Amino acid sequence: MRLIRNFAIIAHVDHGKSTLADRFIQICGGLAAREMQDQVLDSMELERERGITIKAQSVTLFYKAADGERYQLNMIDTPGHVDFSYEVSRSLAACDGALLVVDATQGVEAQSVANCNTAIEQGLEVLPAINKIDLPSAEPERVAKEIEEIIGIEARDAIRVSAKTGQGVQELLERLIERIPPPKGDPAAPLQALIIDSWFDNYMGVVSLVRVVNGSLKLGDKIRVMSTGRSHGVDRLGRFTPKSIPEPLLATGDVGFVVAGIKEIDGAPVGDTITLENRPSALPLPGFKQIQPRVFAGLFPVDADDYEKFRDALAKLRLNDSALHYEPEVSGALGFGFRCGFLGLLHMDIVQERLEREYQLALVTSAPTVVYEVLHTNGEIELIDNPAKLPVVNEIEEIREPIIVANILVPPDYVGAVLKLCNDKRGAQKKLLYLANQVSLQYELPLAEVVLDFFDRLKSASRGYASFDYEFSHFRAAPLVKLDMLINGERVDALSLIVHRDTAYHRGRELVDKMHELIPRQMFEVAVQAAIGSAVIARATVKALRKNVLAKCYGGDITRKRKLLEKQKEGKKRMKQLGRVEIPQEAFLAVLQVGRKS
Amino acid sequence: MILPPLSLYVHFPWCVAKCPYCDFNSHALRDALPESQYLEALERDLAFQGAQVGARRILSVFLGGGTPSLFSADAIARVLAAARRHLSIAADAEVTLEANPGTVERGRFAEYRAAGVNRVSLGGQSFDARQLQALGRIHSPLETQRAAAELHAAGLANFNIDLMYALPGQDAAAALSDIEQALALAPAHLSHYQLTIEAGTALAANPPALPSDDGAAQILEACQRRLCGAHFVRYEVSAYARAGFECQHNLNYWRFGDYLGVGAGAHGKISLGMDAGIVRTVQWREPRRYMSAAPVVQTRSRIATRDLPFEFMLNALRLVEGFEMESFEARTGLPWHTVADTVGRLVRRGLVEANGERYRATAHGLSFLNDALLAFLPERATTTELSAMSTAS
Repeated sequence: MRLIRNFAIIAHVDHGKSTLADRFIQICGGLAAREMQDQVLDSMELERERGITIKAQSVTLFYKAADGERYQLNMIDTPGHVDFSYEVSRSLAACDGALLVVDATQGVEAQSVANCNTAIEQGLEVLPAINKIDLPSAEPERVAKEIEEIIGIEARDAIRVSAKTGQGVQELLERLIERIPPPKGDPAAPLQALIIDSWFDNYMGVVSLVRVVNGSLKLGDKIRVMSTGRSHGVDRLGRFTPKSIPEPLLATGDVGFVVAGIKEIDGAPVGDTITLENRPSALPLPGFKQIQPRVFAGLFPVDADDYEKFRDALAKLRLNDSALHYEPEVSGALGFGFRCGFLGLLHMDIVQERLEREYQLALVTSAPTVVYEVLHTNGEIELIDNPAKLPVVNEIEEIREPIIVANILVPPDYVGAVLKLCNDKRGAQKKLLYLANQVSLQYELPLAEVVLDFFDRLKSASRGYASFDYEFSHFRAAPLVKLDMLINGERVDALSLIVHRDTAYHRGRELVDKMHELIPRQMFEVAVQAAIGSAVIARATVKALRKNVLAKCYGGDITRKRKLLEKQKEGKKRMKQLGRVEIPQEAFLAVLQVGRKS
Repeated sequence: MILPPLSLYVHFPWCVAKCPYCDFNSHALRDALPESQYLEALERDLAFQGAQVGARRILSVFLGGGTPSLFSADAIARVLAAARRHLSIAADAEVTLEANPGTVERGRFAEYRAAGVNRVSLGGQSFDARQLQALGRIHSPLETQRAAAELHAAGLANFNIDLMYALPGQDAAAALSDIEQALALAPAHLSHYQLTIEAGTALAANPPALPSDDGAAQILEACQRRLCGAHFVRYEVSAYARAGFECQHNLNYWRFGDYLGVGAGAHGKISLGMDAGIVRTVQWREPRRYMSAAPVVQTRSRIATRDLPFEFMLNALRLVEGFEMESFEARTGLPWHTVADTVGRLVRRGLVEANGERYRATAHGLSFLNDALLAFLPERATTTELSAMSTAS
């Protein structure tokens, strides 16, 4: 146990975490040179394409240190996007220390501050490292000072590395062994293994990544999943190096995988504790804080026959994405689907893409919304995650919207633009602090405004230099109204929005224009209206198409004609039928695109 | 099972120049026309394919292209004679020849008539000299007018003029002027179809500004009114005829009849009878390849059962008269109930109407035929290759 080090890497997107992880793997000989692929840890196709880490991954490496000992390093990769902070705290729970990687050209970013605070709160040793020192614009001294100022940890002797060239990486490994403590735990105690992650494999069933906190786990053991109370025999044990290597035993302090013939998708929930059937632990380990999704949207299969397949896919995704919530929803416009809760828009995007890519589902998404608190006239309080479910106006005493506290770090040159953005987004300034090279801002902002497009606009207002992190604070009453869209006089529940009264007319107009642009001409005229209550505030008409017929058809080759029709049919598949009207999927997301212009 | 009526299509793959909108199997003629070599290949083809249909009566013959009128009357006579040697052609069969007004010298039509041609389809396209030039046509409006006069003089009053509308920059008045000039030539038949930019053509590579969807629809409506006033009946999406002068050959396509496809790149469709299904044949597309290939059916593929309703409707719904339930069953070999629900839905959507056992596209349905056809389109295209019959058997 003395030779084990369990640690995570905390870094902002693009600060080189994955490259550094690759370098570690290479130094420790986890993969042969020909097996090295850039960013080996980002295994999901989607992660590699987007260059971000979504899911935490673990790798066990064996490192021969300068003291002659052979150390087992269990490295747990963490996501670096604000939407996925929950995944970060989850990976940290399995660690005894964390490596903070900061880009020497960019400085500390808000996301890393938040994650470091989580690590420090969890009692972990945080070891700073300054990366990308090979770049001409690197300023390691300035960045070290910033780490001390903003995060408040000693950083003068932070190791300077270049994950790209390999410079300083060996030294960093040495420092890691010296500074991060070995795991504590009692090898003689009954088994307690924390499930860090679980995923479903079509051949093996549920595969769980665990950290053995106390006791040990061997092949053939009869284990019990504490929340379900069910027992299973251990078929396979092992570690990822990152290749999966079978092991007969996982000892106290180890991180590795367990396969125990669990077929049901929810058989090994993340955060649960595994113990032994014949010598169970009295108590489970403290699990993870249940995370509250903040953004909701309805997801509906384009083909109603896919409903079962869709439900199954959600259950499988949920297994290793416990931040994903869902419950059945029936929409007048879109049929049977699920109301899904997400951490943020990127999370929503990624879940939808995974569903479409990994499970071959075609989905239509309704407009995303935040959760509102509604005070009824009878004094009852109700949480509303779907504008369609908003009570009628005369039953509403007030609507309260979720307010977040945002922490923003921005270079002084861009402070003006960021302040303006925050004001446009109905923000209230709480704090403004000039640091050595950055300005630290704290704002209260309505979550609905942040969900819409805040992140993109913050990036453009600061040429990409500003970073931010937020947490939910409270609900606050606001003059909010429900904006409905009507297609040929029919209210489309999936397009309703809750908006601030001051922007309702503008949003309504923009939305109608956008729909007019997106709805293709059809066999008949289509009227698009925006309404608040019974008052129509904007209208546009999609003119009827005049004809759709092939000019010529004689006995010859029909392949091309058929292809043309198949293309038309394919186009219709991506549309949702509302009465007689066909609405393209993009129309349901148009709500997101309006109001983006500053 | 009674086999459907049978027609013969013969393809002539050469043109003086390739028109930029044309996606047919036509090749610009660079050297001398290999007339006799091609005739020999056609004869082989007729012998080979004729053997496969036995004594089935041929009800119409269409000599299409390309530009068949590049071939001499003597050559056409030899083709028709060969067809009669290898096939049983009805005495009263309609025999149409496609002609480019720019390729027929004086007296030619009388010779064609003597060779056995009794109907001509003239590729007039427009009477606007600038449009003809833009369309890459080799003839002038005057040549079309002369050709029509020749046809009447030769006793071939049963002729068609092809006209295109929704040409670049065209408005309703310009399109009506084309119709007016075509009517002045007293044809028996008019094919009036919208210029469509087909993939892979020169126009697709360099697309001109065409009238808008609304503009094209206005042109069509104006032209239809005018043609109707001149006693031309619209009997198919793009075909108009004086009563009794509908094109028998094309009607057979639209009624999902059978046809032999002879010549380079020609397509055929043959019902095998009993439960053997329907086979499509395709000939070698490239003329040199076709002429050197012996015996000559490149591919035969059976139409998958699931594709039959679509292929039937693709044709039959184009006809204003529509089709009888019974003819669907006879031509596809499928029971009506395979499409009954789909047709029912189209009736409810106002795209198709029923009158006893006869079904047809409504006026609205004729304008939105593609939307109706989508309902019959199976999920994926499937044709099973029976055999590649490029070797003797």
